[in-house]
Amino acid sequence: MIGSLILTLALASSIVAMVMYYMSYRGYNNALYYGRIAYHVMAMLVIVAAAMLEYLLLTHQYSFKYVYEYSSNELSTGILMASFWGGQEGSFMLWLFLTTIIGLILQSYTSKRGDLEHRVMAVFTLATSFILLMVSPLFKNPFVYLWSEPIFIGIKSINPSLAHLPFLQSFLFSDSSSNQEFVKVNSDLVRLLSTNGISIKQLVINGRGLNPQLTNFWMQIHPPILFTGFSMSTVPFCFAMAAMMKNDYKDWVKQSFPWLLAASGILGLGIMLGGYWAYEMLGWGGYWAWDPVENSSLIPWLVGVAGIHTLLVQKKSQNKGEGIGKFAKTNLILMLLMYILVVYSTFLTRSGVLGDASVHSFVDPGTIVYLFLIIFVGTFVVLGFGTLIYRWKYLSLHTKSDEGILSRELSLFTAAIVLCTSAAIILVGTSAPIFGHSVDAKFYSSMHIPIAIIIGLLNGLSLLLKWRTTKKEDLIKRSVFSISASVIVTVLIVLFGGMTDVLMMILTLTTTFALIVNLEIAIKIIKGNKKMLGAYVAHIGIAVFLLGVISSSVYSREKDIDLVKNVPQDAFGYKMVFTGYQSIDNNTKYAFNIKCTNGKKDFVVSPVMYISDYNNGLMREPAIFNMLTKDFYISPLGYDDGSQNQTQGQEISLGVGDKTNFDGAVITYKNFIAPKDMSVMMSGGDFQLGAELSIEKNGKTYNEQALMKKDGRDIQFIPIEIKDANLKIQLQKIDPSTQKANLIFAKITGDNSSASTPKEVLTIQASTKPFINLVWTGTLIMVFGFFISVSRRLKESFL
Amino acid sequence: MKNKYLFGGFIIVLFLGFMVYLFTQSNIKYESNFDKVMKEEKIVRATGSWVREKNYVLDTQNRVFSFYMADENGHEMKVVYNGSMPNNFESAKSVVVTGEYKDGFFHASSILTKCPSKYEGQSTQDVKTSNL
Repeated sequence: MIGSLILTLALASSIVAMVMYYMSYRGYNNALYYGRIAYHVMAMLVIVAAAMLEYLLLTHQYSFKYVYEYSSNELSTGILMASFWGGQEGSFMLWLFLTTIIGLILQSYTSKRGDLEHRVMAVFTLATSFILLMVSPLFKNPFVYLWSEPIFIGIKSINPSLAHLPFLQSFLFSDSSSNQEFVKVNSDLVRLLSTNGISIKQLVINGRGLNPQLTNFWMQIHPPILFTGFSMSTVPFCFAMAAMMKNDYKDWVKQSFPWLLAASGILGLGIMLGGYWAYEMLGWGGYWAWDPVENSSLIPWLVGVAGIHTLLVQKKSQNKGEGIGKFAKTNLILMLLMYILVVYSTFLTRSGVLGDASVHSFVDPGTIVYLFLIIFVGTFVVLGFGTLIYRWKYLSLHTKSDEGILSRELSLFTAAIVLCTSAAIILVGTSAPIFGHSVDAKFYSSMHIPIAIIIGLLNGLSLLLKWRTTKKEDLIKRSVFSISASVIVTVLIVLFGGMTDVLMMILTLTTTFALIVNLEIAIKIIKGNKKMLGAYVAHIGIAVFLLGVISSSVYSREKDIDLVKNVPQDAFGYKMVFTGYQSIDNNTKYAFNIKCTNGKKDFVVSPVMYISDYNNGLMREPAIFNMLTKDFYISPLGYDDGSQNQTQGQEISLGVGDKTNFDGAVITYKNFIAPKDMSVMMSGGDFQLGAELSIEKNGKTYNEQALMKKDGRDIQFIPIEIKDANLKIQLQKIDPSTQKANLIFAKITGDNSSASTPKEVLTIQASTKPFINLVWTGTLIMVFGFFISVSRRLKESFL
Repeated sequence: MKNKYLFGGFIIVLFLGFMVYLFTQSNIKYESNFDKVMKEEKIVRATGSWVREKNYVLDTQNRVFSFYMADENGHEMKVVYNGSMPNNFESAKSVVVTGEYKDGFFHASSILTKCPSKYEGQSTQDVKTSNL
């Protein structure tokens, strides 16, 4: 209750701050002071609310719905803290919290730079107001009590010493399909409890827990970094709005530049960590699956990076005294779009529109939230582009555009367009589910090969070109070395790597060209002013990253393998032996050990599988053996302990009266053979049951019984063999309540394997990922480059 | 001044054209009417439910899993999937299969099972694959 109150007060303060800042912009000078106070009050309240939610989680206050739904007693402290952002409400809280902190820095930053503060903060507080409205009691409030809506709570979470309470019995429900019992918690129950002097906290003593896919190290760092990037992308939007409000397009460029660089750097780092998480833990077999949630964070990043390039041109052209500079309109559009796309991606992943399309989009939150998110996106679109249209005429009059064909300006602009095209493609593909369509991963990958080729080319070319115009002879002279070097390197890669795809060869060529050009320049200036290195370092990073993408996808080999215990198998030059499994993590998971050797190196990899209590699903974790030049990646697919499936063959499930065909025979399940005495079976005594079958083959009819016998402790399935019909039938499973039988059919001849002893089989997908390390190092180099630039541009922003 | 529009426009037109082409080629429609699924010559994502009465066949040797699926109107079709039975298949309330209808049955390349339970909200299970 207090939490909701605090958030409501914070929303009120945020609105007051917005109004005060706006009044100050309209000329009421003393309103600025109140705006500042209101913002700081809001920030304090938000920090208190976030601390409260964290406290509730750490102290296991299951009387709060969010705490019950996303945490449990079993979580380690680190994961428990991270369960803060395990659900929708909490991830909005995280976004709010980080945006608020960014706002504090932004307030101090803008107050030192002219009359910037009131305009920037007026827009910024509009954004905080929207997020605060989202977590307010109206929508996705994390401080809702458990019983606010009737909820079914698994019996495991109920205090066993209270489970026998007489009045509780009418709240008990059981689910016949999963054999689980639930307690329906609603306000009636809470009232009954309190009249008996029991609090809900005493009744519900454990939570539902966190989705097992989220309970790992990366959950603790990936979302906060990603959301920091999202929050920071609010800032360039505010600067663009501020510029349009004052109709002054000069200073905003250098003032927003460090923010844009930092936002893109952090967002890029967050996206990459997500990819690494997917690769290392989730066993998708790769780092990028073009999943809508991944895509929706990539789209604003691409637009932001495009903006960096055109913003640089505007800045340069301003320095040369060309008025407000080139690409003024482009920059405003891109900066507005970046934040709008962040909000749109929130809409995509939280509104439930993706439903079937994504594995990790949140479940449907209801129509009201859906509409609210539309209003959120709509407001920023209308506000941003409305103001832009209002200023369009002025901007068109004052923007110079006379780019020469061979100018750096034009190549940077083209690069920005290419990046935006990539963003548009991903946007279309990701939004398709809204219209009842969906696209294949192939759609994205085949579109991005030509895009990557152009990016590689421009990455190198733009640095060889001079501002304004370049003489052809100069360009040729300067590019001789890099072109010839990259051709040689590409030829070597193609020859020694056995590359066959022409597009991939071109991509390798342009990427190595970019790499060499950037290295050349970086080496030249490393002795001079190291602050100038940022762009080159980032570009080297992206080239290294692309090379990693090429090598790890083009040269990746993949194979499904059945590993029979202690029987060596060969794959990709490794001899693999499955040696058995052991339980790990307090007997909750199983690690399957595979001994590998390639003659030189011996190592053991242990992929993990377990059935999760959380959702009764089979969870798989891959094992990776890292080498400098490649990763050996093993995803577990399944495990068969061999105790049931002694007979190889075809398994068919039948009900009484059903017919099926196998190898020319028609098999009818005529009758269920019930145990003579049901009570004996219930009490655990000996019994037999089975299926009466009639088999027709070659004009003959055989009547047989497939039986299951329980004798003492043993359960036996007695096989039927009909030599004339060359048929073997064995009962695999039979359910007395539905009378449904699973039967395995096999031929007697030509099936030698059935005679052997039980075999333990581990099925895996093994793959090699050559030079995948380049993907990670490339991104890290790129992010590092961003931050070198941030420090340089931060200094310039004062000038 | 026109260079900017020339270059930018060229790239946008080129890629948008390419995108529209690829989109019409590779987009997958959700279809809950099996009559349409059977007529469609492209890959579709058919949604329906498993026909429990007709059971399923699991051929462990050839890794083929087949079953019958029905749409809202009760139209049935046979689905054949190269792989093992997905987790939670037997308890699934609805099934989404991606593939193509050919030679009298639906060749599924992936199966998504949804297990809505009134007690636990909706959960989905999918085998995720990555192409990078």
